[in-house]
Amino acid sequence: MKWIPNFNSSNSLRVIFVIAVFILLFLSSIAYKHNQDLNESSKLVMHTYEINIQLERLMSAIKDAETGQRGYIITRNARFLTPYIYSRDKVNTSFITLKKLTADNPQQQENLQKLFKLITLRFVSFENCLKYSDPKTYDKRKLDNHMFGGRILMENIRFKVDEMNDIEKTYLKKRLKIYDAEISLSPLFSISLFLVALSFILLAYRQISRDFERLKVFNKRLLISSGLIAESESIGNFSTWQWDLDADKIDYSDNQFRLLGFEPNAFVPSKETLLKFVHPDDKDAVAKSIDGIIENKQVPFIYYKIIRPDFEVRYFKTTGKLVTDQQGSKILLGINFDITDEHLLNIELQERNKELEKSNKELASFNHVASHDLQEPLRKIQTFISRVSDADKEVMSESGKNYITKIESSAKRMRVLIDDLLLFSRTNTTKKEFIKINLNELLDNAESELAEVIEEKRAVIKSNKLPKLSVIPYQIEQLFINLIGNSLKYSRPDIEPEISISSEKVNACDYPEIVDQSVKKFHKITFTDNGMGFDPQFKETIFILFQRLHSKTDYPGTGIGLAICKKIVENHKGHITADSTLGKGSVFTVFLPD
Amino acid sequence: MQKNALHILLADDDEDDRLFFKDAFEEIKIQTNVNFVHDGMQLMDHLHNEDNKLPDILFLDLNMPKKTGKECLIEIKKTDRLKDVIIAIYSTSSSEEDIEDTFIQGANIYIKKPSDFNTLKKIINEVVTVNWHYHTSGLNRDNFLLRLK
Repeated sequence: MKWIPNFNSSNSLRVIFVIAVFILLFLSSIAYKHNQDLNESSKLVMHTYEINIQLERLMSAIKDAETGQRGYIITRNARFLTPYIYSRDKVNTSFITLKKLTADNPQQQENLQKLFKLITLRFVSFENCLKYSDPKTYDKRKLDNHMFGGRILMENIRFKVDEMNDIEKTYLKKRLKIYDAEISLSPLFSISLFLVALSFILLAYRQISRDFERLKVFNKRLLISSGLIAESESIGNFSTWQWDLDADKIDYSDNQFRLLGFEPNAFVPSKETLLKFVHPDDKDAVAKSIDGIIENKQVPFIYYKIIRPDFEVRYFKTTGKLVTDQQGSKILLGINFDITDEHLLNIELQERNKELEKSNKELASFNHVASHDLQEPLRKIQTFISRVSDADKEVMSESGKNYITKIESSAKRMRVLIDDLLLFSRTNTTKKEFIKINLNELLDNAESELAEVIEEKRAVIKSNKLPKLSVIPYQIEQLFINLIGNSLKYSRPDIEPEISISSEKVNACDYPEIVDQSVKKFHKITFTDNGMGFDPQFKETIFILFQRLHSKTDYPGTGIGLAICKKIVENHKGHITADSTLGKGSVFTVFLPD
Repeated sequence: MQKNALHILLADDDEDDRLFFKDAFEEIKIQTNVNFVHDGMQLMDHLHNEDNKLPDILFLDLNMPKKTGKECLIEIKKTDRLKDVIIAIYSTSSSEEDIEDTFIQGANIYIKKPSDFNTLKKIINEVVTVNWHYHTSGLNRDNFLLRLK
């Protein structure tokens, strides 16, 4: 569906988010590791210091023992011996602690073992010093020796303790170095990673807010267009509905409810309601069409009636189309038109058409009446008069003879009238077959038809070349006969009639008030005579049926001839005009489309 | 009845026309036997009755009760025994449609009933003296309608 805006940024958004989350997870795991390592190293430092402290305690205990012994040897006071006696325990306690602390380090264990031996030797030397300093067993040389030996032992012990401390320090240093190496990522790198993640998130945020803006714009447009649809539905008297075939859910537009004679959302539409309002006459057809929807994927226009709740019958026209939406569900979209007004108008038009046809038929039968039935009695009157022989007339009175003559001329006039009227109506009702023909040929025919009168009046007819046009030949011939005949009839008695006929091609735009502008080019055929002419004020009225400018005793005529001319020209989508100067002559101009 | 006289049959429902016709034939100096029928049914009965001699020329009015002239024309042209009878349409109407129809259906000539008795005589004279064999072979749409010179 094209009208759904494409928010394809959602995919890139997803990628950005996943990357950002991974970076953050990575950073936090590094931070965790860092923390752990820090913890470890501080423990290690503590461990080293503890060992250091224990070793110092060991040393101080031995020193205490030494000081106490020394005090005892000088003063012989037993009180000085107390630290010496306790020092042994203190040394043992420290020793056990140290053994535990260095359990993971074989080198230190070994050193500790050596230290232990040295301390044991130191205590043996203490014992010996005490023994040889005792007045009972006093031996100056041996005491000096042992005192000195103790001194050296003490040096060795200190040396060993320092060595152990050094080892521990080196070890600490090494471990700290390892930890530092393990935290391979520099803070700068972490920060830049963090910044990347941050910028990704910002990018995503920007994209989201941009999409949101677009969504807002589309939403607004959607709102406007749905408002427009609702409005146009109510103006145009149509409505829309959609039928989700998979979910079997039907939605009506507001106007659909109104067209059915309800307030919007007055009921929940279902498959059954589609048929519910349909007129009983049309139910089967509509039901069939609904069943055919799924097979044919679309509904051709169906026409049916519905009955509104107030029993008003309306005429509907419905069409539909099956579409598949983005989620793949089949939806039938439909449009309903309320064509009641058109339908009623149509019926009215049909009725009028029938009436027209009827009146046309009546007209045709009138033609028949005129051509046959009306002529029949007239013909008989004329025939009977013709049978009144000269011998019969001899015995008649003058007035009787006069009456017979009057009847004869009246009947003759009646005949001319009927013939002209028939001619007039036939120019309209007979078949109009257009044939491309040279108008000169038709003019020749017309002249030969009028040959008798032309000769009698010694008329001169001049014409230049006429065009070849697609016309109804016998009608144009009639037009020429009538126009020339007219000029001959209303010629001046004192001069010989002269009629000149000329033709030229003209542009319609040069005669905006006269001819139909939808045709570009016209042939303008002019008939100019030197006859008696007429008052120009009658130049329009002379084309009207039965309009005559002269009394019928002066110029017998029916007033139909020029009306026929007008009709013929109109049949050819042309135009005819007349102009004249009284006593000088007339000009008849015929415009025929090219 | 004279043996070599022309047999003329007029089918016309109008009494006056039959009278004009009869008088006209009496006044022209050609030996003819003129018979009349009053409508289409009577005409067909007359023609189908083999006791009656077939007319040399049938003058046929178009507008007749019971069976119109056109219907009779079609029926005659369909019947083998009758189809060679010379048929002169004799009608008040001079409508293009009637002339066209009867020409197509095989009538030999179309006469518009004249409004002058002398003209009628001239027409009848023309029609009965025409060489029908010659006329029929040269018959076309233009000379079908009789025009007096």
